[in-house]
This record gives sequence, structure tokens and C-alpha cells, in this order.
Amino acid sequence: MKRFRRLFEKFIEGILLSSSTITSLTVILIVLFLFREGLGIFNRSPLEHNFIIAVSKQNPVQDLSSDQLKAIFNQDITNWSQVGGKNDSIILFTVNDITNYFTEEELGASLEYLPQKLNEFIVSHPGALMHISDKNLPSDFQGHTIHVKNISVKDFLFGKQWYPTSEPIPSFGIWPMIIGTFLVTLGALLIALPLGLATALFLAEVADIRLRNIVKPLVELLAGIPSVVYGFFGLIVIVPMVQSTFKLDVGETVLAGSLVLGIMALPTIVTIAEDALRTTPRSLKEASLALGATRWQTLRRVTIPYAKSGISAAIILGIGRAIGETMAVLMVTGNASNVPHSFLVPARTLPATIAAELGEAPYGGLHFKALFALGIVLFLFTIMINLTVAYVRNKERK
Amino acid sequence: MTRKQLSQYIAFSSFTIISLVVVGILFVILGFIIVRGASVISWEFITGMPEEGMTKGGILPAIVGTGCLILGSMIFAFPVGVLSGIYMNEYLSDNWFRRFIDFMTNNLAGVPSIVFGLFGMALFVNYLGFGDSIIAGSMTLGLLTLPVIIRTTEEALKSVDDSLRTGSLALGATKLQTIRKVVLPVAFPNIITGLILSIGRVSGETAPILFTVAAYFLPNLPHSIYDQVMALPYHLYVLATSGTNMEESRPMAYGTAFVLIVIVLLMNLLANFLRKALGKRVKM
Amino acid sequence: MKKMLIFSLMIISAAVYGQKVNFKIKGSDTVLPLTQKEAEIYMKKYPGSSVMVTGGGSGVGISALMTGTTDIAQASRSLKLDEKMKLNDAGKSFKETIIAYDALAVIVNPANKVTKLTREQLEGIFTGKIKNWKEVGGDDMKIVVYSRETSSGSYEFFKEHVLSRKNFASTALLMPATGAVVQSVSQTKGAIGYVGLAYLEKTIKAVEVSYDMGRTYVKPSIETAKSKKYPITRPLYYYYLTSVESKVSPFVKFVLSTEGQQIVLKEGYVPVN
Repeated sequence: MKRFRRLFEKFIEGILLSSSTITSLTVILIVLFLFREGLGIFNRSPLEHNFIIAVSKQNPVQDLSSDQLKAIFNQDITNWSQVGGKNDSIILFTVNDITNYFTEEELGASLEYLPQKLNEFIVSHPGALMHISDKNLPSDFQGHTIHVKNISVKDFLFGKQWYPTSEPIPSFGIWPMIIGTFLVTLGALLIALPLGLATALFLAEVADIRLRNIVKPLVELLAGIPSVVYGFFGLIVIVPMVQSTFKLDVGETVLAGSLVLGIMALPTIVTIAEDALRTTPRSLKEASLALGATRWQTLRRVTIPYAKSGISAAIILGIGRAIGETMAVLMVTGNASNVPHSFLVPARTLPATIAAELGEAPYGGLHFKALFALGIVLFLFTIMINLTVAYVRNKERK
Repeated sequence: MTRKQLSQYIAFSSFTIISLVVVGILFVILGFIIVRGASVISWEFITGMPEEGMTKGGILPAIVGTGCLILGSMIFAFPVGVLSGIYMNEYLSDNWFRRFIDFMTNNLAGVPSIVFGLFGMALFVNYLGFGDSIIAGSMTLGLLTLPVIIRTTEEALKSVDDSLRTGSLALGATKLQTIRKVVLPVAFPNIITGLILSIGRVSGETAPILFTVAAYFLPNLPHSIYDQVMALPYHLYVLATSGTNMEESRPMAYGTAFVLIVIVLLMNLLANFLRKALGKRVKM
Repeated sequence: MKKMLIFSLMIISAAVYGQKVNFKIKGSDTVLPLTQKEAEIYMKKYPGSSVMVTGGGSGVGISALMTGTTDIAQASRSLKLDEKMKLNDAGKSFKETIIAYDALAVIVNPANKVTKLTREQLEGIFTGKIKNWKEVGGDDMKIVVYSRETSSGSYEFFKEHVLSRKNFASTALLMPATGAVVQSVSQTKGAIGYVGLAYLEKTIKAVEVSYDMGRTYVKPSIETAKSKKYPITRPLYYYYLTSVESKVSPFVKFVLSTEGQQIVLKEGYVPVN
């Protein structure tokens, strides 16, 4: 019986142990899945799977950079001589254009004559630039493929253009979003920090118990309001307010996002900073007061320095909350994908981009993978923030 | 008044004023939603299906959908979170393993909700093949709220006086018996409080359900865990940003926001009430 | 907690009864409000059926058709050749039905005095080459370009038929949904955007568009779209696999019926005939 009992306890302990590993497991799985999808975008051609860029065999051009290709498809470059070829105008051709040159009957009911027609096309149009699937190529193809540079991590992080669905060459540069996220967060912090710390000081040092018991739950309630409600409020109240206050062309700006995020980050900062202020031992404070210092002097010279690391942790966690916030920002910052240069212009953030585009990105495609890569960047930010908090707290313990 | 006293007076009054501003912001937001939303609320709004391109009718499917997601995520996250909290507080001493799990739990708590959305879509929807479904959405939300439940459980257990544990052990009870019969009953009210607060959080999350469960329009109630559902936060998002007639869908949006806010307020009130009521009973 | 459990169980079990035919429609956000309305009325008429409607964009709907996660794909563009080839390769035969037409109206703030624009001017504005309203006959005011998100069908259609495939300016504000474009244009004096006819309302103004270098300007309306005079008009499609035809055809027939086409008209789209 006793042995059974002990076995039973061991068994329960095992269950408890395995439950407690689930969070770690989840973090590992998140890393695994983000990287599995997201890394797929790097070191490969920016063309969709199986697609190639091809020109006529007589065309001397061998490779084109993706910028050149973009310029060609944007019709900023219209002649082969501009990219080192003969003086001949460029005829853009994607496989969907084939119906402009041949009738449906000529292509066959299940498109069986397509490869042959592609050949006829390239022979009769030597200035063509073709964007086609290599599956449709005839075995005796009368053209040659153009080599396109792979997507590098550097292009991804520091590229300034985000045209994820542009054909044939999408641009995946997330620099505007990194700056956008950074600016929105910075603004939120500038708003939330003074308000949050003052409130924390009020709760910890000024308010009597009764007042504190009213104010603190109210601040915690701010944390409970769903982010989409904040976004809705921002859309209807804050955006027009920002627009009319600053006489702007557009109200959807970094500032609108910062205001909403600032309010959202308040409870995190208040709660954690207040907890930190409360950890200062009573004896220290009383000693200071006994020496004739006022409560304000005690607060400045004793309590705040003692709680410094806790307050830093509150600030960093507030940043973390702001960086990752999605829905509220998506609804108020306008999501323009150029690099913002002030607080009064529209911007796009990392989380908002994922939320807005993932639903429409075809599963498994380049765009889909790029959004997972955005997720990786966001996740790495979070890890960095948590490491910093752990470091600050560790210092505090020592 | 001396200079010292004056500077204290100025500092403390500004803290007070700023705190009042913060509380004022809360009341402005709540007031705005409640005043505009309350007039929309009717029996039909709560129990009806959306009609006329979601400019009339009600939001029952969204309410039921959010209910399903709350239930589903709690069935998964509550036991796991509580067991995990018990293990971390009662069994683990302050060693590397404890610190590692602590660190991982903090990390999970800091992961942005949209990343949970990505993860939920990759793992539950695609890899495990659940598709857009209640189960995929619930699991995603469950993982998101897990750290909250673990933390509140830990806090609740920490607040239990150690003398109770040593007393029970001295009387010959095993560790498990002590936890079950002595520690848990005392910590119970606070654990439940954590549960209720995380329900509030789950009911308002949008980003994690965007790609795992939420439907734009589905005027039927779900009949299996593999169905998609509408959900309140996503419905509010839809009403606020799409729809062919913004003017007419506005009242619906206010009403939906109102319902969401009421759920959160109720959960907070309930948590406070339970904390007090149950706390007293246990003390006796 | 227990009560809640019982309540939800009750609802769930209540929902299990009376389920007969159910199918999913997924895809274009342009078609979404229309399909939603059609489904709403269809379900009232045939209480045994359940139609679920979700958005996501034309491309998403079509790829869902391939993976079998939707029964009907709604699209605001025709199937691309490579999509056709993928379906052919998978040995799946499908049917295409045009259920309505839609015209993309170019909208500005009602306070803007510009009332007409040529295609070339539109291209300049949306690609960022024209930056001020005074360049196209308006006040001295900065132009603020609003667009839909990159993978929506309207974005692609507009890019192809108005911008001659050039990229939108990177300063364009990309809104997550058409309603948000309407909302922003109505609030912003210098704004310009494009939305489906169905989204036109008092708070915004549609401009007349010319596709012949300014000789004739046409106002977007159901009549001009129907007579093909308005140039930025496109068909809206339903695609479904022949294998599920028996299940979905009553609904498709309903949409094409006089009653269904009345709804098309009422929702601000252009009926098929």
C-alpha cells in the first residue's frame, strides 16, 4: 500500500513536471515553425518557384539585377540598350499575355500547344522579356534564361521597398517597417513613461490605502480593454483629433499610433514600477525620515534609487508590449510602406504588416514566407527584450 | 512653508494630478464606448443573427464563438497552467532547471500576439491539419494565456504561509497530501482569480485568431470543434474597417465594442468579488 | 463556470439539429459583401442550408479551391493561366460563372474641386509622380494616396488597368479593408482612393474618368458600367470544382436568378444582364 502510494506520488510528480515543460516546449516549437517557414525566403531566387526570366537566344544580355528587372517591369527602362543589350525596345511578356497573341483554339483545350506557341512567340519577337514557368518550356526552347540575384538577409533587413506581390520580382525590404515600429514605440514610450511613473509614485507613496484601492484596479482595468477596442477608439477619436490639432494632410500617423500604444502600455509600466517601489525596505525609508528628510527627499534619494532596476524592468516590458501590439496600430497608423521621417507621417509596423497581409498571401509562396521572416524579426526583438529584463533583474538580486 | 515642503507639495500634487489624468483617460474611453454602445443593446442584438450586410440584426454567432474559444482555451490552459505552477513553486528549488523554465515562461509571456497567430497557423491549421477551426484557435489562445495562469498560480501558492506546509508534513502527511489538502484550498481563491482574468484576456484577443479560426460572416452556430466561428473582437475589427456602408454599420460596431467591454468589466468585478468572498471563507 | 458549460453545450447541441447542406465560400473581399447578402437571403429561404462566407482575397480563394478547403472561390479577376495550369495538372475540372460586374470608382474628398481625371493623370497620381492637386487643376494641396492592401483583387486590377502595371508609390497608405479607404478619404481633404461602386456614399465623391486622353469623361454608375462606357469595369466570378457541383449549384442558380440579381443591384453591383 505504501509502495503504491509512493508510486502514485511519483506519477503525479511526473505529470506536474511535464506540464511545467510545456511553456519551454512551446517556445522551442515557435522558433522551429517560424524558422521553418521564414528562412525559406533567403538565398533563393526572388522569382516564385519554377518561374524563370527568359529572352531570345539572339539577345546578348546574360544577367539582370533585381533592381533592373523591377525598373523594366515598371517601364522606367524600355530599351535593351539601357541594360547593355542591342538598341531594341523591350516587349514585356508574362504567360497570361499569351492570349493576346494566340487564340484559345490555337492553344488547345487543356493548353497542350502552349509550349510550342511560346517558341513561336520568342522567335517572332526577339526583343521580348519573358516571365514564364519552366514547366511550359518546350524541349527545343529558342531562348535562354536570365540569372537573377538571390534574396540576401541584408536586402531583406535594409531594403527600403516593400512590394510583396509585385510581378515578376517582388521586393521584400523591411527597413521602413523596422523604423516605423521603432518610431511608434519611441513615441508611445515618451507618452507612457512620465504618466506611468508619476502614477506609480502616486500609488506607492502619495495615495492613502483607500484611494489606492480605487485607483489601482482602475489602472489594471485599462490593461483589460481589448486592443481592437483601443484601435476602434483610435480610429474614431484619436485620428481625427491628431489631424485637426496639427493641421495635417492625414490623421493616420505615427503619432496616432503612439498615443494609442502609450495608453495601452501604461498599466504595464504602472503595475511593475509600483511593485518595484514597494520593495524598498521600510527601515531604509524610516531611517531617512528620522534624519529629517522630507517624504519627497526620501523618495528621490532612497526609494527610487533602490527600486531603480525594477523601474527599468517596467520600462523595458512596456517597450515589449508596444513593439508587439498589432490590431490597434493596424487601424490607426495608415500603413504606408515608405520610411517615416517624423511623428506626423503615416508608417507601417512589423506586426501590422503580418496581420494585414498573411490572410491574403497564398499558402507557401514567397510572400507567405516573407511574413514568417517578419515574425522571426519580431520574435528576436522580444527575446532581446526579455534577456535585458532578466539581466536587469539579476543585477537587482545581487 | 519651507522650500523643502514646497517642492514636496509641488511634486506630490503633480503625481496626483497625473494619476487623475490616467484614470480620466480610462473613463473617457469606457464612457465613449458605453454611452454610444448602450443604446444599441437590445435583446435582438444579443440573440439575433447579423442581417442586411451586418448593418442590422445581432451578434449572437460572435458571442457564441467567443464563448467557445474561451471554453476551449481554458479546458486546455487551466489544468496545464495550474499543474505547472504547482510544480514550479512546490517541487523545484532554485536551481538551473527552475531558472530555465522561468526564463522560458517569461519569454512566452513576451511573445507578441501576432506571432502566436503565425505559430498557430503553421502548427495547428497547417501542420496538424485542423484547418481554420475552434480547436486551432483555442489551442493558440490557450498557449498565449498559459504564462498568465502559471504566474498567478505561483503567486497564489507563494502567499500560502510556510508554517502550514511544515505543520502538515510534521503530522506525517506526504508532500502531495499537503499540497492537496492544505496548500491548494488556501491558494484556491487567488488561482481562480487568475483564471477569470485570463478569460478576460482571451475574449479580447484578435491577432491570434485572425488566421486560426475567425470567420467574416457565418450566421450559424458551430456544431463541432472543427468549425470556424465568428468572434467578438474580429467582428468589431470587420465592422470598424470594412462593410459597404460605414455609417450604418457604426452602431453595430459600438454595440460589439460595448459587449466586449462588458465582458472584461464583468470578469474584473467577478475576480475582485471572488477574491474577497472566497478569501474570507478560507480564513475561517 | 458550470452554468456556462451547460449553456454552451445547449447551444452546440441545438445547432447540431437541422444541419443538412453546408458549404463554404472564400475569396475576394470585393465580392464578399455581395456573397454575404446573397447567402443571408438564401439561408432564410432554405432553412436547411448553411453557407459560410469568408474573405482573404481572390488569390487565397483560388488556392483554397485547389487544396479543397473551400467549395466556391469568389474572385474579382479571372483565373490566371498558371492557376488554370495548376488545376489542370491536379486533374481537377472546374466551372466558371460570372455573377455580377463591378466598377472601380476613383474617389476624392467632397471638398476637393477636381471632378475629372484622365487615366494618365491617375497613373501619375497613384505612382507618385504627380504630388499636388494643382498639377491636375485643383487647389494647392498635397495629394494623399489611399490604396487597398497589396494582395487584394482590386489592388491588382487597378495596377493592371489604370497604372499599366507600374508599382504604386511607396508613400501610398495601404488600408486593410475597403471600408477603411472610404472612412479615410471622407476625413482627409487631399485624399484620393479607389473603391467598388457598392462602397460609394455621401461622404465621398467619385470623379469622372477618361480613357481617351481627355476627350470624353465618364461618371461611374451602374448604367455606365453596364453599357461598358465606364472603363474601369470588371466581372466578378464564382469558381467551383465540378465534383461539388450538385452541392453548390442551387446557390449559384439562386444568385443568377431574378431575385439574386435584384440583390446584386441593391448592393450596388452591376447585374449580369
